[in-house]
Amino acid sequence: MSDAPVLQVEGLVKHFPIQGGLLQRQVGAVRAVDGVTFSIRRGETLGLVGESGCGKSTIGKVVLKLIEPTAGKIVLAGEDVTALKPGAMWTHRRRIQTIFQDPYSSMNPRLPSGTIVGEPLENFGIARGAARDEQVAQLFRRVGLRPEAMRKYAHEFSGGQRQRLGIAKALSVNPDVIVADEPVSALDVSVQAQVLNLLIDLQEEYGLAYLFISHDLAVMRHISHRIAVMYLGRIVELADKRTLFTQPLHPYTEALLSAATAPDPKRRGLRKKIVQGDVPSPANPPPGCHFHTRCLYATAQCRVTAPPLLEVAPGHHVACLRRPVGGDPGPLSIPG
Amino acid sequence: MAVTAEDLAPDIRRFSLWTAVRRNPTIAIGAVLLAVLLVIAIFAPWIATSDPLKIVPVNRLRPPSERWWFGTDQFGRDVFSRTVYGARISLIVGLSVAVISSVLGLALGLACGYFRRVDGVVMRVMDGLMAIPSILLAIALITLSRPGLGIVIVAIVIPEVPRIVRVVRAVVLSIRSQPYIESAIAGGTKNWKLLTRHILPNTLAPLIVQSTYVCASAMLIEASLSFLGAGVPPEVPSWGNIIAQGRNFFQIAPWIVLIPGGFLAVTVLAVNLLGDGLRDRLDPRLARRL
Amino acid sequence: MSGTPGPILEVRDLHTQFSTLDGIVRAVDGVSFDVARGETLGIVGESGCGKSVTAMSILRLIPRETGRIASGSIRFEGEELTTLTEEEMKRLRGHRISMIFQEPMTSLNPVLTVGTQIAENVVRHLGVSWKQGRERAFEMLDLVRIADARRRLDEYPHQLSGGMRQRVMIAMALSCDPQVLIADEPTTALDVTIQAQILDLMIELKEKTGTAIVLITHDLGVVAETTERVVVMYAGRKVEQASVETLFDEPLHPYTRGLMRAIPRLDVEADAAGTRPRLQEIPGLVPILTQPIIGCAFAPRCGFATDRCRRERPPLIDAGAGHLVACWEVDRVRRAA
Repeated sequence: MSDAPVLQVEGLVKHFPIQGGLLQRQVGAVRAVDGVTFSIRRGETLGLVGESGCGKSTIGKVVLKLIEPTAGKIVLAGEDVTALKPGAMWTHRRRIQTIFQDPYSSMNPRLPSGTIVGEPLENFGIARGAARDEQVAQLFRRVGLRPEAMRKYAHEFSGGQRQRLGIAKALSVNPDVIVADEPVSALDVSVQAQVLNLLIDLQEEYGLAYLFISHDLAVMRHISHRIAVMYLGRIVELADKRTLFTQPLHPYTEALLSAATAPDPKRRGLRKKIVQGDVPSPANPPPGCHFHTRCLYATAQCRVTAPPLLEVAPGHHVACLRRPVGGDPGPLSIPG
Repeated sequence: MAVTAEDLAPDIRRFSLWTAVRRNPTIAIGAVLLAVLLVIAIFAPWIATSDPLKIVPVNRLRPPSERWWFGTDQFGRDVFSRTVYGARISLIVGLSVAVISSVLGLALGLACGYFRRVDGVVMRVMDGLMAIPSILLAIALITLSRPGLGIVIVAIVIPEVPRIVRVVRAVVLSIRSQPYIESAIAGGTKNWKLLTRHILPNTLAPLIVQSTYVCASAMLIEASLSFLGAGVPPEVPSWGNIIAQGRNFFQIAPWIVLIPGGFLAVTVLAVNLLGDGLRDRLDPRLARRL
Repeated sequence: MSGTPGPILEVRDLHTQFSTLDGIVRAVDGVSFDVARGETLGIVGESGCGKSVTAMSILRLIPRETGRIASGSIRFEGEELTTLTEEEMKRLRGHRISMIFQEPMTSLNPVLTVGTQIAENVVRHLGVSWKQGRERAFEMLDLVRIADARRRLDEYPHQLSGGMRQRVMIAMALSCDPQVLIADEPTTALDVTIQAQILDLMIELKEKTGTAIVLITHDLGVVAETTERVVVMYAGRKVEQASVETLFDEPLHPYTRGLMRAIPRLDVEADAAGTRPRLQEIPGLVPILTQPIIGCAFAPRCGFATDRCRRERPPLIDAGAGHLVACWEVDRVRRAA
């Protein structure tokens, strides 16, 4: 595990314009990602967790340069790819691959699975013809599919198998980073375990770095090394998973953890702090700390000042005005 | 636990003609009817019982009989032979309009859907073209040049192209937003290959369906143009011409109008059945089984 | 009527089938269970196990063109539902038995305000005046803790958030004081914090109104937190049934065990080194329901399976204190711990 990060993201911003009126002029912006900074090392999984609309999937797409960032910096294996045009980006695509959420719509229905998996090999001129088929067969075996299945079409596979196809495709060009956007949330529990185990095995075998995007805390805790909790386009807490789960500092992390259900009836009623209200619209986020509208501990200051993400303990970053550097990590008091 | 993920995978269904027909009788009926008409059109010289243009005044307005299966018209021409030859005109017009407008529409539709910069301009032009009635356009074109099959085809193609462009463009736009396109881009697929390998093949199914409807409507428009005298030259035995010329004798010799009219209706019906059947078969939303 | 003892809903040997181009799908293949008055029964299983079809069968919402209840009996307060006319079912649905679905947007009419929709339901079933119906709608929105309920009455479904819509659905479902509420994946489409709010609300309302709830879900966490008894389904069959504590303490069917070991857990302490333990996989895939299943449906994926399992369908046996399990090898499973 070398210490140089394979993927570095600094101050990433992505705003989607809202058009309106007769002339389709921009009348506002959805601030999907609002200044996000993180890095991933080789062989490491960074989890991005948050509820719908928090911008986690947008980060995945921006990092893959499927959409252009509004501001900020993306450094892939030491090279700044932020401003690269599609043509110049192409050579860097080998280094970063992706696994999608929906195994049904992420495969072209009209191509045999072997062609889909082998496409990146062809695109980057790594292997063609028989050599490509041989490599694809190996990839199939590696992800637990029979090489004979190369001729089958995506719809002939089950959901779990399709996700294996997606993994094989991402793996084909031997990337440094894989962005996995909710890769198991469309799968049944029994199949989900198969795919998670496979992802972990592959990471250990090839030293892959994963940017793992999910809303499921249990899955996240299982697969990640470090976890970033997002709320309305910002990271509110970032820590190694043990710290995050045993000593969450941000009130939103605490709320997420206590809202998660556990498959254990004895723990029923242990849920204490259910956060009330809905997530505000990212087109019109509250001023100050985005979470203050739902936060039990919010003070007058929280409604005005956006808290910076500070390293309050080694490796533990929190964006909360009530959690200053060197502050007491104990429970917060509810302001009178 | 040596079971791999695939051991219980579903079987691949084998294609069989019989199950295809049983599942989709409309395609079968449409295809059979159309095949019969094609055979009639291609082998018209052998099927026709006499020269469709030969005028025999003695045999004017004879009702259908053993000698003149579909009767004769006011010039004593054999309506059966004329109808058989008329199938050629209808099918030529229908198929060429369908093919030409599909090719043009596909190219423009792909361009509009994929390269967003040309979209606005091209689509406004298409809106303009769609506003031109083909009958007026045909009349205008004929006054500029000699009447003929080519002019008719051009006159019908121009307003039909935008219909295809719209369908193709909509399909391209929806495919572009599919995750598998993003997946292909992330996998290093370049523009040209993205278009030809991922987008084009997925537009073909709706294109084929739409072109069958264009084909049917072209046949009807051709008949109306001929009927109005703005179509193929009057001596050519197209169904529209036969009907137009028999119009004045409808009271005493209805077969001149009814028989080619019936053929026209059956042909259009066959093409539409084929189109509906293909739509049901090719539309993944409808074809998806439980 | 409501004073009579015994279960409010009895489902016996239910078989629901769909005819598809690939053949007959035996979506529900001989399922029986009771729902006691005021209890919360969970039906849990993976996609395609027949849990939703069971719910649709109870409400007779199986699309007539493709599916039918092939045999079996569904008795609600002693009344047989399978033989009722559509007209009689309509009087029952939304009144004495009601249902909420996963995606509330599709079950709300987009062109009517939520107040109108709830009031309509009340007026239709209880025969009260429109004004009383509106008042009831207001009470219900207030009950499901929608803030500013008076104003929300006049809003359209698209003006509400997902969690709010699910609250409206619950308000509508409870508006005529049903004896049974069937909830099909009611929180699956919702965010974690909103899911927690809705689950809490459902439990609280159940206690307040005494409505029995049949909660259908794939999520073992939701089952553990909300239900009293649980039915586990696999491939259209009931494989296990127990009180929620017993089921999670000692699952006896190899499938239930497999499920519980396959999910990543939040409540188990992570080890200090931060290593990631392997999840236990259930190998293979669920069977295809168009082909008749001989023997135990789970046998091809089961580590305990014997020849008998592959030959004969295991009956449901009582493993003690009402813990039903359909497994020939239950003694071996129990010993394997």
